[in-house]
Amino acid sequence: MRLAYWMYEGTAHHGVGRVMNSMRGVHAVFHAPQGDDYVYTIFTMLERTPGFPAMTTSVVSGTDLARGTIRLPETLRQVEASRNPELIVVVASCSTTLLQENLEIAAQSAGVGCDVLVYDANPYRMQETVAAESLFTELVRRYAAPQPLTPHPSVNILGPSSLGFHARHDLIALRRMLAVLGVEVNVVAPWGASVDDLRRLPAAWLTIAPYRELGAAAADYLEAQFGTPALREAPIGVQPTLRWLHTLVDTLNELGAARQPATARAITLPPLTAFSLDGRSAPSNVPWFARTADMESFSGKRAFVFGDATHTVGVAKFLHDELGMPLAGAGTYLLKQAGWVREQLKGYIADDQFLATDTFQEVAARIAELRPELVCGTQMERHTARRYDLNVMVIAPPTHIENHLLAYRPFLGFDGADVIADEVYTTCTLGMEKHLIDMFGDAGLEEVPEHTRTVEREEQEPGEQRDEEPALSSAPQPRVTRSSPTEVQPIWTGEAEAMLKKVPFFVRGRVRGNVEKFAIERGIAEISAEVLLTAKEQLGA
Amino acid sequence: MPPKVQFTREDGLYHSFCGLVSVGWLYQKIKDSFFLILGTHTCAHLLQNTLGVMIFARPRFAVSLLEEADLSSSQPQIADQIAEIRREHKPSVIFLLSSCTPEVMKVEFEGLAHSLSTPELPVLFVPASGLDYTFAQSEDSVLQALIPFCPVAPPEDKRVVFLGSVNDAIADDFALEAARLGIPVAGFLPANHFHELPPIGPGTIIAPLQPFLPRTATQLVNERECTILSSLFPFGPDGCRAFWEDLAAHFGLRIDLAEREAAAWERIREHTELLRGKKVFFATDILMELPLARFLRAAGAEVLECSTPYINRRFHARELAALEGVRLVEQANFERQLRSIAAEQPDLVISNIITANPLIGRGVVAKWGTEFIFSPIHGWAGVNPLVQLFTRALRRHTRLDPLGLDPIWTAGVMPSASGDVIPLAQQ
Ligand code: SF4
Repeated sequence: MRLAYWMYEGTAHHGVGRVMNSMRGVHAVFHAPQGDDYVYTIFTMLERTPGFPAMTTSVVSGTDLARGTIRLPETLRQVEASRNPELIVVVASCSTTLLQENLEIAAQSAGVGCDVLVYDANPYRMQETVAAESLFTELVRRYAAPQPLTPHPSVNILGPSSLGFHARHDLIALRRMLAVLGVEVNVVAPWGASVDDLRRLPAAWLTIAPYRELGAAAADYLEAQFGTPALREAPIGVQPTLRWLHTLVDTLNELGAARQPATARAITLPPLTAFSLDGRSAPSNVPWFARTADMESFSGKRAFVFGDATHTVGVAKFLHDELGMPLAGAGTYLLKQAGWVREQLKGYIADDQFLATDTFQEVAARIAELRPELVCGTQMERHTARRYDLNVMVIAPPTHIENHLLAYRPFLGFDGADVIADEVYTTCTLGMEKHLIDMFGDAGLEEVPEHTRTVEREEQEPGEQRDEEPALSSAPQPRVTRSSPTEVQPIWTGEAEAMLKKVPFFVRGRVRGNVEKFAIERGIAEISAEVLLTAKEQLGA
Repeated sequence: MPPKVQFTREDGLYHSFCGLVSVGWLYQKIKDSFFLILGTHTCAHLLQNTLGVMIFARPRFAVSLLEEADLSSSQPQIADQIAEIRREHKPSVIFLLSSCTPEVMKVEFEGLAHSLSTPELPVLFVPASGLDYTFAQSEDSVLQALIPFCPVAPPEDKRVVFLGSVNDAIADDFALEAARLGIPVAGFLPANHFHELPPIGPGTIIAPLQPFLPRTATQLVNERECTILSSLFPFGPDGCRAFWEDLAAHFGLRIDLAEREAAAWERIREHTELLRGKKVFFATDILMELPLARFLRAAGAEVLECSTPYINRRFHARELAALEGVRLVEQANFERQLRSIAAEQPDLVISNIITANPLIGRGVVAKWGTEFIFSPIHGWAGVNPLVQLFTRALRRHTRLDPLGLDPIWTAGVMPSASGDVIPLAQQ
C-alpha cells in the first residue's frame, strides 16, 4: 500500500471508455458503482462532446449487493432500446471484479440481439493504456475478415482515439500527406470506426500505426494474420517524416509490383512543396529556422523530456537532431514501454539520464535537480516546472483542458514539426532578449519586486489560479497552499540579496535555488555576499 | 407528522459522483484536517479529474492505494501512512473515508479508525463509498463523525448552531445577521478548525444551511436533545425570510421580514422578469434541488420537474410543502428524463457537469448544477449570485448567434457521433 497523490495513467475502465467513445455504433456498459460515472465527465468536458458518449454505468449499489440484485441485464436492454448499438462491451470495475459474479451469464440472460463482449479488464493488473490497446486488438481479431485487397494502394490508420494526445490533429496531418501522395485511406480506427469498418481492415495494403500505445498490437495481428505490412514509426520531426514518406511509397510500390496482374497505379513522391499548405512553399520551416542566428542560443538550452513512449522518443530526438538542443534527461511513465524508450534514446542520453517511473514525485525531484531550460512533459510536469519557475510545454497525456485547443496543432508530419518548434521557441526565453538583458540587467522588464514575488508564490501562487481549478472545469475552486520545505533554509544577508537582485530576473530563481543548494550541501546557514560569489564561481552561475 | 407530499422514486441515478468529491471543499473548510481515502486507482483518478488540485505540493488529502496484493487482507495496514501524514501535515484530525473496494472487501472501518486513533490525533471513519453515497451526502457523514467532539452545552445555553460548511464570508454574514436580530450564536458545524467545534446541548437550536445533512440532524437530536429548526433553507428572498423569522421565533423574537424580502426581490427584478414563465427542468444530482426549485417557482418560473438523488420527508418538509404541485422525482432515470425534456421543451435544464455539453449539443439551454455548490448563494447576500446563476445561462444563450443546431458546427468533434446530432425538438 502507498499514498497516492497523482496518477499518470487513468484506469482500465477509462481505457475501455476511450476506445468505445472513439467508435460508432458500439457502447460500453460499466458494471460499477454510480460514482464511477465520473469517467463520462472526462469525455464530455475535456473533449466537449456535443453528444452523449457511448457508455452507460449499470449501477451497483450497496442495497443491490445486500439483496443480490444485478441490474446488468436490464441496463443492456435499456441500452439496446435507446442506442441500438451493434456491439456492447461490458466491463466490471475495481470493486465489482471482487464480487466474482458471472457477468457472461448475466449478460446472456438479457436476451439482447446485438453482440455482447464481456471484457475481462482486471483493474488491478492493467491501467488505461494496456486496457485500451488490448480491447482494441481484441475487437480487430473478432471482426477483421479475409478479403481481397483494394484495387489501388490503400492504408489503414490505427491508433487515433478519443482523448488521444492531439489525435484529431495528427489524423488530419496524416490524411493531408496521404492525399498528396494519392494513397487511399481504407479505414481509420478506432477513431470514427464502426464494427463494419473493422471487418474491412484486411482490404488495406499497409497499416500505419504511429503510436506505441494504441494500434501497434492490432497492426501486429493484421500482419501475422493477413500479411499486411505495417509502418510503425511515428513521423515526428522533418527527417523522420521524410523517411516515413519514402518507406511508405517504396513499400506500396513493391506491393503493387508484386501483384498479378500489376494494375495498380504506382505512387510517386511529388516535389516536397506539394506537402505545404499552399502547395508551393517549404513543407516545414524547421530546417531553415533551426539554422537561423536567433536559434544559436538553443544549443545551450538543456531539455528534459518525460511522457508516454511515442511522444517522449519523438520529441527528444526532434529537439536534439533538428533544433540542436542538448538533452538533460528523458523518461517515461509507461513502465511496460520503458525498455523500448531506453533503446530508442541510446546515443541521445546516458543510462543514468533515463528515468522510468510512474511516481510523479520522482520526476519532480529529477526536474528540481536538473533545472533544465526546457521541460517537455505531461500535465504533472507542467505543475512541477511552474513550481520551480522553469519553461515547460506539454507533449504527452495526461492533459489539462487547456491542452484541448481549437486550432490545428498536430504533432505528426511536417505540420507537426512546425507546431512543436513554435511551441519550443515561444516557451523558452527568447534568445536575443536574453543577450540584451544579460548585458544591461533586467532592462525594466521586471514589474514585481522579486522578493515579494517569491513570498507570494510560496503562499498562494498568484497568477496560477488556473492550475488550481479542476482539470475538467472552470469551477471556482478554493486555493491550495503550499507547505513549507522540510530542510533548513539558509538565510540571505541584505548584501547578498542585493547582489542577487542584479541577476537577470528570469534566471534569478534558478541562481537562488542553486546557491541555496550549494549552501545547504556545505552546511552554510547564512548566505553572505562572499558565499554568493564563491557559489557563482563554482557553479558557473 | 410531516405532510405526505407526493413524489416518485425511479430506478436509479447513474450520472453522478460518489461521496468522495465532498473532500474537495471540506479539506479547505476544516483547515487543520487531513482526508485519507482508503481506495483504489479509480478513486485517485476521480479526485484528480474532478478536483485537479492534488498536484499542488502536498494537499491535505490523499488516497491510500489498495493494490492487487492488498486485496487478500481484510484489515489493511495503514499505520505507516497515518504516521507519514502526521509527520508531513501535522493535522489535528484525520478523516478516514471508505470507498467501494474496501466496502466489498468488508473492511471493518470503525475498528480500523479506532485502532489508529490517538487522543492527540483522532482518526474518524467517514462512510463515503459510491456504493451508498452520492455527492454531497458524504458531508453528512463527516459532520456525523464530528458530533462526539462538540462540547456538551448545558441546558440553559440557548444559542444557535449553524449546520453545514459554508465559506468564511457567508459564515460572517450569518453571524452578523443573527447578532443584528438579537439571536445568540454558539458557532458553526463544521468550524474552521477541529478544536473550535461549537457546544451543543438541549438548549441548542440547530439551523441547517445545507439541505443534504439529514443524518447529522437526526443524530444531534438523538444524542444532544437539541432542536432542529424546521423552515425553508436560506436561499432566495423567500427562503431567507422564512429561515430568519422561524429561527428568531425559537428565541421568542417575533420579527417580520416582509419588507426585507420585498426589497430583495426588488433588487433582482431585472432577473426575475427574465425568469417569469420560463420552464425549468432539474436533472442534476447536487442535493440542493428542492430549495433551488422552490426559489425559482417563487421567482415566477414554472418548474416542470425537480429530481434529486434523495428526499427526506422530515428534513425537507417545508421545502416539499412549498413545492406542492411540482413533479418531484427521487433517483431519476436519465433516459426517461431525456424523453420528458424532448416532450416538454424546457427553457432551461439544470443538469450536472457530466451531461451539460451533450444536452447543449441537443439544443437545450443547460446550466451545470455543480456551480451552485461552489457559489456563495446562501443568505441575503447570496440572493444576487443565486439568481444570476440561473439567468446567466439564459442570457448567454440569447446573446450568442443562433447555431440552429446545424451539425456542420460539431462535425468531427466527437469521433463516435454519427455526425447528425438530432435536436430534441425534432424527436
Ligand atoms: S464510486 Fe467507489 S470506486 Fe468509484 S471513485 Fe467513488 S469510492 Fe472510488
